[in-house]
Amino acid sequence: MSWLSRLKNAMNSRRLDEDLGEEMHDHRERRAAALRAKGLNAEEARRQAELRFGNVTQLREESRGIRLWAGLEGTLQDVRYAWRGMHKGPAFAATAVLSLALAIGANTAIYSIVDAAILRPLPVAAPNELFRLSWPGVSDSGDPMAQERVSFSYPMYLKFADASKEAARLTLFSYPQRVEAQGATTEKITRQFVSEDAFEVLGVSPAAGRLLMPHGSPVVVLSYDYWRKRFQADPGVVGRNLRIEGKAYEIVGVARAGFFGVEPGRFIDAWLPASVYDAKALAESGWNWFQIVGRLRPGASREQVAARLQPIFHRFQVERVNRVSTMPPSIRNQFLRSAIRVPAAATGVTDFQRIFARPLWIVFGVAAGILLIACANVASLLLARATARAPEMAMRVSLGAARMRLVRQMLTESLLLSLLAGGLGWLLARAGGPLLVSLLSRSDDPVEFALAIDTRVLLFCVGVSMLSAVLFGLMPAWQASGAQPMTSLRNSAGQAGKIRLGKVFVTIQVACAFCLLMAGAAFLFSLGKLFRVDPGFNARNVAVLSITTEAGKETEEAQRALMFQLQRSIARQSGVEAAALAAWPIFVGAGWDQQVTIPGKGPSERQEIFYRVSPGYFAALRTQLLAGRDFDIRDSRPAALTPAIVNAAFARRYFDSLDVLGREFSHLNGKSPARTVIVGVASDARYYDLRHSADPIVYLPTEGSDGFTLYVRSPLPLGALVRIVDRDAHTVGSGMRVREVTTLETIVGNTLLREKLLAAVGGAFAFFGLLLAGIGLFGLLSYSVGRRTKEIGIRAALGAQRTDIISLVLKDVGGLMSGGLLIGLAGALALMSLLQSLLFGIRVVDPLVIGTAMGLFLATGLLAAGLPAHRAATVDPMLALREE
Amino acid sequence: MAKPNSAQSALDLLVLTVVERRGPVHGYGIATAIEDLSQEALRVEEGSLYPALHRMEELGWIAAEWKVSETNRRARFYRVTSAGKKQLSSESERWLSFSTGVSRVLRHA
Repeated sequence: MSWLSRLKNAMNSRRLDEDLGEEMHDHRERRAAALRAKGLNAEEARRQAELRFGNVTQLREESRGIRLWAGLEGTLQDVRYAWRGMHKGPAFAATAVLSLALAIGANTAIYSIVDAAILRPLPVAAPNELFRLSWPGVSDSGDPMAQERVSFSYPMYLKFADASKEAARLTLFSYPQRVEAQGATTEKITRQFVSEDAFEVLGVSPAAGRLLMPHGSPVVVLSYDYWRKRFQADPGVVGRNLRIEGKAYEIVGVARAGFFGVEPGRFIDAWLPASVYDAKALAESGWNWFQIVGRLRPGASREQVAARLQPIFHRFQVERVNRVSTMPPSIRNQFLRSAIRVPAAATGVTDFQRIFARPLWIVFGVAAGILLIACANVASLLLARATARAPEMAMRVSLGAARMRLVRQMLTESLLLSLLAGGLGWLLARAGGPLLVSLLSRSDDPVEFALAIDTRVLLFCVGVSMLSAVLFGLMPAWQASGAQPMTSLRNSAGQAGKIRLGKVFVTIQVACAFCLLMAGAAFLFSLGKLFRVDPGFNARNVAVLSITTEAGKETEEAQRALMFQLQRSIARQSGVEAAALAAWPIFVGAGWDQQVTIPGKGPSERQEIFYRVSPGYFAALRTQLLAGRDFDIRDSRPAALTPAIVNAAFARRYFDSLDVLGREFSHLNGKSPARTVIVGVASDARYYDLRHSADPIVYLPTEGSDGFTLYVRSPLPLGALVRIVDRDAHTVGSGMRVREVTTLETIVGNTLLREKLLAAVGGAFAFFGLLLAGIGLFGLLSYSVGRRTKEIGIRAALGAQRTDIISLVLKDVGGLMSGGLLIGLAGALALMSLLQSLLFGIRVVDPLVIGTAMGLFLATGLLAAGLPAHRAATVDPMLALREE
Repeated sequence: MAKPNSAQSALDLLVLTVVERRGPVHGYGIATAIEDLSQEALRVEEGSLYPALHRMEELGWIAAEWKVSETNRRARFYRVTSAGKKQLSSESERWLSFSTGVSRVLRHA
């Protein structure tokens, strides 16, 4: 009976009962009819028929059991047998299940992130119609790292939307920002400004209220998640007010569940209409603070949109170059030649993809390598086991076991292994996905993904486990069932083939594991080198506090006085070594770049970093002053000649000397050139990240502002320090308070997220791959030593020394590893050239990396060979010869 | 198959033979055929036929389907499959040599 009908029987056992009952009833009816024909009366005929039939209920039960369980029983037996087998070899089972589970788990977890971050279309209607706008970008001095620009101004958006209105509908999105929302408690939310009709264009429906925001009115649309978290999904919230950054916004609606915005990785809590953004941002075409996303109208193409936008874009570029009269011609031409691009945006608009897409694919590739190793490992383990069980199989074949039955049993074992591994892997993936995301995330800039249990991920997981089941299950099953009873019972021929196959598996493992080891070592060394980079300041024990005062309340001069007052009072606290002010923190990507004009020369090609700091900044960060003096409070007063401190890189680049005190230069401050005189020279310090060598920096004196950064060098715990600063800020008054707190070490560490991710995952997987390759080597060597016991015994009997025998085994290891290592090295070098741009201070052919990887691998090989070699060396010749 | 030479295997062999010669045939037909052919020497409990039929069906020796019989009633009809035919020839051969052996001993002991 087919599986299908058996399954049908099992699902519908009443139907089966009726069937059986009817068949047996029919029999008795016929018998009774026959008896009646012989002259019995109806009553007697029925009685006789019942009597001759026997116990109906018992027979029916018997038949029912047969038809339900006959086949299932065989399967259950297989499963029980497999389970018992796993119990008998717990080390084998644990190794196989755990290594597969880890590989499946890693692949699933990473795939779920790749899927959520890169592959999955946005949760909007018809995402294939979406596009975004960008342009190639312009680089100072032909920097090859020039990045695609995706920022546009509000006036540009209006002109673009008008020009393309027959072919598309455009919407705009500001960059998401973490801001404070005040309610019963103050909390940080992620806010984004959008055009009024953004939700309509995206095709997102409301979960409550409506999503159209009237032009210029202070309204807010909440995300579903935030609505649930903050308002317990109360529909009555529509019409109420939400205070964001101290301003009240009326809640007009809630976006439907699942819509997080247009940037995968970033969950928006609240959307505000762009028309209530900073008035300057809406009016000036120089304020490129928005991203533009559009939806094609039916029948229109992205090329048509580009063609309509290009003339307008060009006009804006002309305007852009004319605004900066000092722009060098090479840059000017780049601007004027640039063309608008209209790439598809079905999967969203995000910086995250640009920064992490490559590392994620690499991590995914590493996980795939682990899967390959795990499969080869399990295959060789199963192969060795199949060999060990060959006599058993031969016995069963000779006793008449059906070949199919053996294949089925072996496959059941593999399936049981892979299903257990798949289940465990799924659990690992569920825990590992969020863990990996947390590696990418920062407290002040959280990355979130909808890593929901996704059928695609589930199918992928099941597919991987099934594929591996077939990969490693079929081969040994085939070999075992192909066992020729006679030859196997004699236990001689047919083994060479298995050794050869085992060697193939070990070679695959060694090659893959070596690639992983090289990559892992490269990432770890690269991170280590980055950690050892001298940034030019000492980040230990430096707290970084963002502080604000009430906007627009005080004059610049009054603001400045309040800032200095805070700095002085903090610096006087016991436990505080130094305190300093700056316009914003270093290493967060914030900057103010200006062209520099040296008297007698034209404006510089490059734009240099300008950074406003207070007196005591260099002492607080322990950046050395090489010459001249530190700033003084009086330096901040407006003057015709502003004092400036430059770093050594600046002095060398523009004056070819460190002896630059008293030299003058100018830069653009607003529209007019500002003259500065150098009063000090600081040693070089990194400004944006650790990767690039120190840039020239111009330090200018503090300017009053309603938002600034306070650096405090102190061994006090961060919490205690914040309380001190909070209290002092309150004393200073004018609404001054602490907004954000972190440490300089954290800020610097945040620029290494990608490197840390790669080092953590690459290092862990390299270790894991090495372990698996070691197990594979060990397994094959033990097996081959076991097989050669007799040969070794003869050698020992003939006078071979222990060292000879050990070297025999070691030669085996060498032979096994050398092929894999050669392939692995070739693969690893190819891999290294792919990874080059993600590494720091590591060359493609790097002796340190190759040496470390080789050393680790050889040590693992020796370790794996140790036990088998020891066993070979202690073979008792007499026992070995007497065997069989 | 049940233990060789048991009553069970004998019944299997009889049933299989009848189904092969007369099939497709329903359970009652098989019972009466065995009765007639053995001249009522073999009178098994008729119901025990069914578990035997169902077991052989599971083993793939016979196949069954519901059909309307000559008397216009629904009945389950059995026929032998090719696997069943193979089984029948090897089994009947074995049975013949076994029974010849037994009868020889009975006659000449």
